[in-house]
This record gives sequence, C-alpha cells and structure tokens, in this order.
Amino acid sequence: MESGTDQQTASLANGGKEAYAIRLRGLTKRIGSQLIFENLNLDVFRGEVLAVAGGSGAGKSVLLRTVLGLMPFESGSIEVLGSDLSTVEGEERTSIERRWGVLFQDGALFSSLTVLQNVQVPMREHLNLPLKTMNELARLKIAMAGLPANAAHKFPSELSGGMRKRAGLARALALDPDIVFLDEPTSGLDPIGAAAFDRLIRNLQRTLGLTVYMITHDLDSIFAVCDRVAVLADKHIVREGSPRELVQNPGHPWVREYFCGERARLIEKAS
Amino acid sequence: MRPPAVSMLNRHAISEYHPGCRIAPDAGAVRIELSGDWTLAVLEKVHAALPSSREVPKGAQALEIDLARLQILDTAGALTLVSFRESIGGTAARFINVRPEHKILLDEVARAASAAAEAAPRSQPIADFIRRFVSALTAIGRDAISLTMFLGETSAALGRVIARPSKFRGTAFIHQIQMTGLTAVPIVSLVCFLIGGVIMQQGARQLRNFGAETLAIDMLGILSLREVGVILAAVMVAGRSASAFTAQIGTMKMREEIDAMRTLGIDPIETLVVPRILALIVALPLLVFVADIMCLAGGAVMSKVYLALDTPIFLQRLNAAVTAKHFYVGLIKAPFVALVIGLVGCLEGLRVTGSAESVGTQVTAAVVKAIFLVLVLDAIFAIFLSASGF
Repeated sequence: MESGTDQQTASLANGGKEAYAIRLRGLTKRIGSQLIFENLNLDVFRGEVLAVAGGSGAGKSVLLRTVLGLMPFESGSIEVLGSDLSTVEGEERTSIERRWGVLFQDGALFSSLTVLQNVQVPMREHLNLPLKTMNELARLKIAMAGLPANAAHKFPSELSGGMRKRAGLARALALDPDIVFLDEPTSGLDPIGAAAFDRLIRNLQRTLGLTVYMITHDLDSIFAVCDRVAVLADKHIVREGSPRELVQNPGHPWVREYFCGERARLIEKAS
Repeated sequence: MRPPAVSMLNRHAISEYHPGCRIAPDAGAVRIELSGDWTLAVLEKVHAALPSSREVPKGAQALEIDLARLQILDTAGALTLVSFRESIGGTAARFINVRPEHKILLDEVARAASAAAEAAPRSQPIADFIRRFVSALTAIGRDAISLTMFLGETSAALGRVIARPSKFRGTAFIHQIQMTGLTAVPIVSLVCFLIGGVIMQQGARQLRNFGAETLAIDMLGILSLREVGVILAAVMVAGRSASAFTAQIGTMKMREEIDAMRTLGIDPIETLVVPRILALIVALPLLVFVADIMCLAGGAVMSKVYLALDTPIFLQRLNAAVTAKHFYVGLIKAPFVALVIGLVGCLEGLRVTGSAESVGTQVTAAVVKAIFLVLVLDAIFAIFLSASGF
C-alpha cells in the first residue's frame, strides 16, 4: 500500500477543488448545551479510503450524520464534490445525493422489500429505467457485493448480519456513486467475515474508483484497507495520516493508546 | 495507488460524449469501434447505439470490440458491453485497446454477471399461492394446539405456585390488577354508558310501534347483564391488556431477557405469565360489574330523555324484569374470558423472535385472536347456558 501523503500530493496536483471529495471547514455543532464539534476540519481526497476512528462517544456517527445532512450544524462549511451543502437545495442537492451511497450499521434495508427491490429503490427513485434493465443491474450489484444469486428474493429478516451488510452495500452502490459512506462496516462480523468484507471494500473501491469514508474501530480494517486515518477526539480531528505514520508518531494520548497498544502492534507486525 | 481518472469526472451528468458505435470490417476480422460515455445516465442512448446481433457480419474469424475511444464507463455500461459481447459470439469476441481502469471494471462485472446468472431461482406464483394457503390453514390448527399446550404449561406452573406459595409474585400480581383493571375503568365505563343509552333508545323506538315502549327496559336489563356488559369489558381488555402483555413479554424475549431468566433458574411462566393471568381473572369480573352498572345507567339516562320516565319508575320496571340469575350468567363468563385473553397475550409475547418488527406483528395477532376467541367463547356459553335452562 502506498502512503497517504503520496496520494494527497498526487490528488492535489490534479488541481484545486476537484481533488477533494469532502471538505469540512470550521465545523461547530452542539446538541442541547453540549458542544460536540468545535472548529473541526477534515479533508477527504478523491479515490482514497479514509477511516474515521475515535473512542466511543467521540461523535463519529454524529459527524457522519452531519455530513449526510441528517443532523443540523451551527457554523462552518461542508463541501461535498465541490458544492457547499448548506447552500444547495432542491434539484442540485438531489444530484449530489445521487452521487453518494451510504451503508448504515445494520444495513438499514427496507424490511418490507426483498433484497432485489431494496437495491432497485434508488434506481426507481432517480432514474427511469425499464424493469428488465433494473433487474439485471440489481442482480449485478448483488453479485458484486458478494451475495449468492438466491439471496435476491429474500427479505432482510431472512438474512444473517453479514449478508444484510452486503445487501446494504449493494443498495449503496446501486447508482454507481462517487463516494461511499460506511458506518462500522465490520462491526458484528466474525474475523473471517470481517476480513472478507474488508477485501470486498478494497476490491470495489479499486474497480469503481470510489472514495470511501468509513467509521471504524477495527484495527484490522484500518491496516488492511485504509489509505488514511483521521482520529476524532476532543471535539475535533486530532491526527490525520496513514496508519503507519500514526503508529510511528502518535502525537496524542488516545492515538498512542489505540495504535501503539498490544493489539495494534500484533496486527501491524502481521501486515 | 493512483486514483482512476474516471473519478475525476462527474459520471452522473448527461455526458457531452454521446455513446457511439461503428462497425469497421477489416481484412478477415470484424472490428466494432465504440466511443463516448457509456453510463447509467445515458443508458437509453447506449442501447440505441449498439448494433443488433444481426447487423454484425457472420462468419468472421475474429470479432474485435475496440474500446480505445471509450470515455467514461460505469457498471451499467460495463454490463451492457459484457452482455453485448456474449450476444455476438461469446469468447470469439474480445475487447481490444482496453484502458486499465476499464479492464478492472469489465472483468469484475463479467465475473459478477455470470455469478448472478447462475441459479437464480424463478418464482412460481401458483405453487407459492397454494403453499401460503395451506400453511395459513394449518396455522389455525397449530395455533389451537399451542394454545392448549400453553394452557397446560400455565396450569402446571400455577400448581407449583400453589404448592409453594412463597414463589408467588405478589407485587407483580397487584401491579397487574392495577394496570389491567383499575386503569381500564374510565374507558370501559364510558363505552358501556354510551352503548347502554343506544340500546335503550333503539329498543324504545322499535317497540313504540307496538305501544310497548317500556319493554325496552326489560330488554336493556337482560341484554346488558347477560351479554353486552361482559362482551364490551372483555373486548376493551383484550385490546388494552392482551396487547400490553404481548408487547412487554415480547420485548423481554427480543432482548434475550427470557433466556437470561431461564439460565438463572427462574421460570418465566411462573414469574411473568401466572401473575398476569391471575390478575386478569380477578380484574375482569370486577370490570364486568362496573360495565353492567354503567350500561344500566346509560339506559336510565336515555329513558329519562327519550321516554320521559323518571329514574324511580325505571328502576322499578328494571327490578321486575331482571333477576340475579341474569347477572350471574354474565359474571360467570368473565373469569374464563379473562383466562383466554391472558393466555393469548402471553403466548404471542413468547412467540416474538429477534426483530422489533416481530413485536408489532405479534401484538396485532394477539389482539385479533383475543377478540375472536372472546366472541367464540361467549357464543359457546350462550348456547350452553340456555340449553341448561339459565
């Protein structure tokens, strides 16, 4: 794996705004009287896999939901694919939403629809395609997400946790997005399932040229698939860099404990 | 890793590069040159641009699909290309001048498409319908069996509690009486008061044709005490308490609390089911009494308004019409009805499986089954009691 800094320079060399998939500047958010983020800055470059790590309650999920527009924020700016999300509305907003896909923690599949229908939901909503094409495309996405063909006609309640995640990923990929958001993609999976899911993410990222923003606790995932890690602590991003850089130079107590602990050392040695 | 050039462009915009296709017969080989953007956004144009398999000359030694001038490719475009290659000659046709980022995508799509194509089971609507119909029919039988088994289990647990009274959960029992009985008093009273009034009004109106308006009081008295009071109270309790039991026990089942109880050596039937059912058996007769009184009160008010009968006269007439027998006939049903409501509510709760959705399904099932069984039981009692001369 090449280091993240090489890629940053490569991306930056490609020029200006288009190098950033997501750009957060001076983000401040409170819930009630509690300050969640204070002057938070974060860049996600195109074509990279970024992991957002942090302790429980650090606000990783809140940050994701804020970027997705599911939660309001007080001040600062969120720029996705070159447009400032706080200013775009209506059609323009929808056209940005079409360019991202989200995998929620337990897949968040619609329980009354089969997997095939779930994958077709974004296509029905945003495009006007003949049913045959939608069926073909949805089956393709289901196969690309690593599900067997007979899973297409099952309901979410008939799937295991790992399969629900794969089905959720198939739905997130339905419209060939540019950015994919993953919320703890490997949580609740056994180590073998988690490793398979990591490989799947890596493969799809390469094949489809995706930018991946993922929340994760999983050190294995971080070392296996991530180009860069951003660590969320003390209400802002305290460290950014490739996993190796953070191991060599943690620079923050939480990062040191996380990346230089017993478990991290074993994984790093193995990788 | 280099970010592919593809991601630098907006794949979702309507492209400036229309998808195009040109057939150029070379010496010996047929070459199909593709150009433009092949994406989901312009999929119609992509399909229009592709030649049908008839237009591709037959008998050529080699078919080459030239992708040199292809701009942007996404999965939809790649799928179209892969199936086009299949349709014109399978492995005899091959892609040439493929850009590396297109090649990864085409290979992956070809792999996934063949995986998707194999063993996609077709749905069989008629067979599925018959299967569903039969399983719905047998479900009634299975329900009856499981309810009977559950009655047995509960009786056994009740027996154990009677043998060792220290096991009895007194606090839960009193709490359940409050929840199922006391808090139901306002709604049961209101409903019975209104229905009593309606029975009185409708009865008087019809009987007026025969000049026998006052017989409406006889009708009200007998109907309220024998049937209406107990049915209304039971239906209200089935709606309130059967659903509450299912939701409470179902939530515990969903969060594995029931399993935790079993591993700790606590019998969930003894702790959760027995107090609830006993509480209902105590509370429902009391509610039936309240319901009876409120029905009669509603009738009394209506007779004053509608028939201009003063309350003392109404009471006199009522006293002549009904005997204690009618009251007991209504009351004797209450504990049995309570048992059925409690059993159905608790059983459906224990049937909840892992998901929150299943709690909702089971609550609905509990209410429907409880009300249905209340009415069936009432009908059986009506036949039985009148046959035995009550």
